[in-house]
Amino acid sequence: MVLEQEIPRFASWIGLAFLQYLAAAGVAAVVAALLTWLAQAIGNGPLAGGDRVYRGVLAGLADILATSPRRVWALARLAIQESLRRNVLVVLAMFALILLFAGWFLDPASVDPRRLYVGFILAATNLLVCLVTLVLAVFSLPADIKSRAIQTVTTKPVRTAEIVLGRIVGFATVGTCLLAIMGLAGWAFVVRSVSHGHVLDAADVFDVTDGDGAVSGAEGRTSLDRGHRHRVVLDGRGGGVAETAHGHRHRITVTGTAASGERTYAVGSPLGLLEARRPLRGRLRFLDREGRPAIKGISVGAEWSYRQYIEGGTAAAAIWTFEGVTPERFPEGLPLEMIVRVFRTYKGNIEDGIHGTIQVRNPTSSLRSESLPIVAREHTIDSLLIPRRINTVMADGSLREVDLFTDLVSDGRIEVWLQCLEPAQYYGVAQADFYLRSGDGSFAVNYAKSCLGIWYSMLICTALGVMFSTFLSGPVALVAALATLLVGQFRDFIARLFTSQVTGDSSIVPGGGPIESLYRIVTQTSITLELDPTPAVQVMKVLDTVLLAPMRLAASIFPSLASLGTSDFVAGGFDIPGDLLAAHGAETFGYVLACFIAGVFCLKAREVAS
Amino acid sequence: MAQATSRSDSRRDASDVVVETRNLSKVYRDFWGRSKKTALKPLDLDVRRGEIFGLLGPNGAGKTTTLKLLLGLIFPTSGEALVFGRAATDVSKNERIGYLPEESYLYKFLDAEETLDFYGRLFGLDPDERRRRAAALIEMVGLTRDRKRQLREYSKGMTRRIGVAQALINDPELVILDEPTSGLDPIGTREMKDLIIDLKARGKTVIMCSHLLADVEDVCDRIAVLHQGELKELGRVEDLLRVTGVTQIQATGLSPAAAAEVKAVLERHGAADIDIGNPRTTLEDLFLEVVRDTEARPGRRARRTESAAPRAE
Repeated sequence: MVLEQEIPRFASWIGLAFLQYLAAAGVAAVVAALLTWLAQAIGNGPLAGGDRVYRGVLAGLADILATSPRRVWALARLAIQESLRRNVLVVLAMFALILLFAGWFLDPASVDPRRLYVGFILAATNLLVCLVTLVLAVFSLPADIKSRAIQTVTTKPVRTAEIVLGRIVGFATVGTCLLAIMGLAGWAFVVRSVSHGHVLDAADVFDVTDGDGAVSGAEGRTSLDRGHRHRVVLDGRGGGVAETAHGHRHRITVTGTAASGERTYAVGSPLGLLEARRPLRGRLRFLDREGRPAIKGISVGAEWSYRQYIEGGTAAAAIWTFEGVTPERFPEGLPLEMIVRVFRTYKGNIEDGIHGTIQVRNPTSSLRSESLPIVAREHTIDSLLIPRRINTVMADGSLREVDLFTDLVSDGRIEVWLQCLEPAQYYGVAQADFYLRSGDGSFAVNYAKSCLGIWYSMLICTALGVMFSTFLSGPVALVAALATLLVGQFRDFIARLFTSQVTGDSSIVPGGGPIESLYRIVTQTSITLELDPTPAVQVMKVLDTVLLAPMRLAASIFPSLASLGTSDFVAGGFDIPGDLLAAHGAETFGYVLACFIAGVFCLKAREVAS
Repeated sequence: MAQATSRSDSRRDASDVVVETRNLSKVYRDFWGRSKKTALKPLDLDVRRGEIFGLLGPNGAGKTTTLKLLLGLIFPTSGEALVFGRAATDVSKNERIGYLPEESYLYKFLDAEETLDFYGRLFGLDPDERRRRAAALIEMVGLTRDRKRQLREYSKGMTRRIGVAQALINDPELVILDEPTSGLDPIGTREMKDLIIDLKARGKTVIMCSHLLADVEDVCDRIAVLHQGELKELGRVEDLLRVTGVTQIQATGLSPAAAAEVKAVLERHGAADIDIGNPRTTLEDLFLEVVRDTEARPGRRARRTESAAPRAE
């Protein structure tokens, strides 16, 4: 899976994140207060306007502090009743329909069925839950104001904060229930969909003999099901495994002997398909073709610089340094798993992978193991168990067997070297591509963790919807919320675009800002072509910078639901780190709190009965 | 001693004032802050504990605006409104208020029991108390058989009745009724008026606004007549309806021959139940006179003295 940024430890992340949050919230609050004062000052004069703003702020804060949980729950119950009476449960029928159609259209013969099914189900769940709660949230309060039902509520001892929070809690509860049901149904769908079997016929099994002519085992192949079959290796007693294909394997057992005297076999359920690997990741560095340290590998011209490449048949190497490597953690040796991409400068035999080697080295003494051969196959995770007892290459070129942890691990650190053997071919790797598999979590728990990520998104949608509905009509609030989420979705791009604009480095984002882009579209000028620095172009660039500045500010504070998504982990078969979930939880709480406070002040400033 | 008595009276008066407005006005503005409509010109009012106070006026007179200002639903342009001595925007005052809006703006997807349960929860009533009060109020407004039906299925009269029930769920000290008899049939109207009088008998203060003159005349102790956002008349109903400068003689058992005689002659002829006093006009006549007068001579109308009122305005 792609992991563009390292996942920081929550404890070290939260401090700085909290300060950034306070700064952003402070700036937003000051800007809002100044705008309100300006509006009040026009009608009432600067002093009276200031007095109104001051009183409004005090009243709003008092409102928030005096919030009663009982009334919040009463209003939340109302929101739940409203949702139920408006047939929100129809969305479950829609989800059931989606599952039915998915059964037709998703290809069970896919090379990576887990990614296909998990990705699809979690995406559908995410979309439906977020959309439903957003629609409920944006239309509820404006409908109450329009029907004036809000008047019978606000004439009770109900505070504005309770109205806002009650709606957030109510619709979030509805969303939570929908998510729980969809999550369970989706999980059952995924498990049932990827589950399959094969038939191993005795006619497809052939004995394997050793040097003395004695039968040492058997080999064969399973039946073709779901677009794949497995190579089978059996021991002398008939039991064995169906080797990995399409990301999984099967256990094979002998069930008996048929009347013809041939053995009958049972192929077990898929293994390794629904898993949650816990990786121990290392730090990546490179050596260039002369074996000198390099900051990066080679760029092969791809636009995406996530993976760096090393040249085959040279001294170029990609080196990972792992820490915390102990015999207690890896008693059997180091279970190395890797994804190695290939960039071919000539086609060669496309059926074969590209050959390379793996070595492990002591980072302090530079003692290195013998080279372990690998064959890089695209789009699969290859695994290699580096054993406890391993041969090392001595200075004179001889081999000596050593203990992995005693001789090759230094202070819990060990290096893994990857080199490509074939000249003019390239290996492409990223830091997250090599890891030591330190254990496995439960797939069901991992799936639930991903649903927790969807829950975070749903909470943000709900809070955002309620916040906009405090001062906008339903349809406008919906558009505003969607626009906010859209800007948030592109916040990284906007940040890079702004940097590109300010620094003048067009390689970060080629094509310039909105006006320059429009100009290029109209004049059909390629984005890679530098424009002549005429005065008109200079003015255009300045205007772009001015336009991008507020977008950059908005992008930095708007939520990105994509960044909260963790379905890639589940689809890729990786355990979702607790630190990531905790950070997402804190981020979600921050957004919900900000939306709640903003909603309270917006609704409080509004005459709900005018 | 005299001073002490005066201060005591003043305190009692102050504690008796449930609602007080001072220069209360409301101007609706457009998005750009330009004045769109003056809904209420500066208004001074006191409503005292235990009385039924009526706001009377044609459509657009400012009655509902006044009520909304008292309830804190809208904010005054100038002046202030105090309810139980607290600013109208203070939410805590609502603990002691029951409000029936003009068209019973309730949640149509709830049934009667759920409606009262919801509003009971907003007052923090415990579950037993909520159930008890809801059952009693549903019975009182005659919706026992329909208590499980969603309000969307209710007729206008039924909606009005459940609206009354929700206004009383907290056993309020002050009941504010906006057009309470609107949409009710004659029997329902009679029941509503009986209920208002009953509320007064139970020590509640009632403020109601209406343009149905007979309703106001039947139940109100004092009224304020508003027109075009301005207070035109304020006082006790009895006083306002009395025609001054004219003596009315009423008698029973008087022969036609004696009709021309004045009081002394009537006595000489032995007539019984002689009544000499001020004749009354009807509220309808008064109302129409105010409207006609205002339209003929725009501006503030000279007010009558509130001679029989407990406290002068």
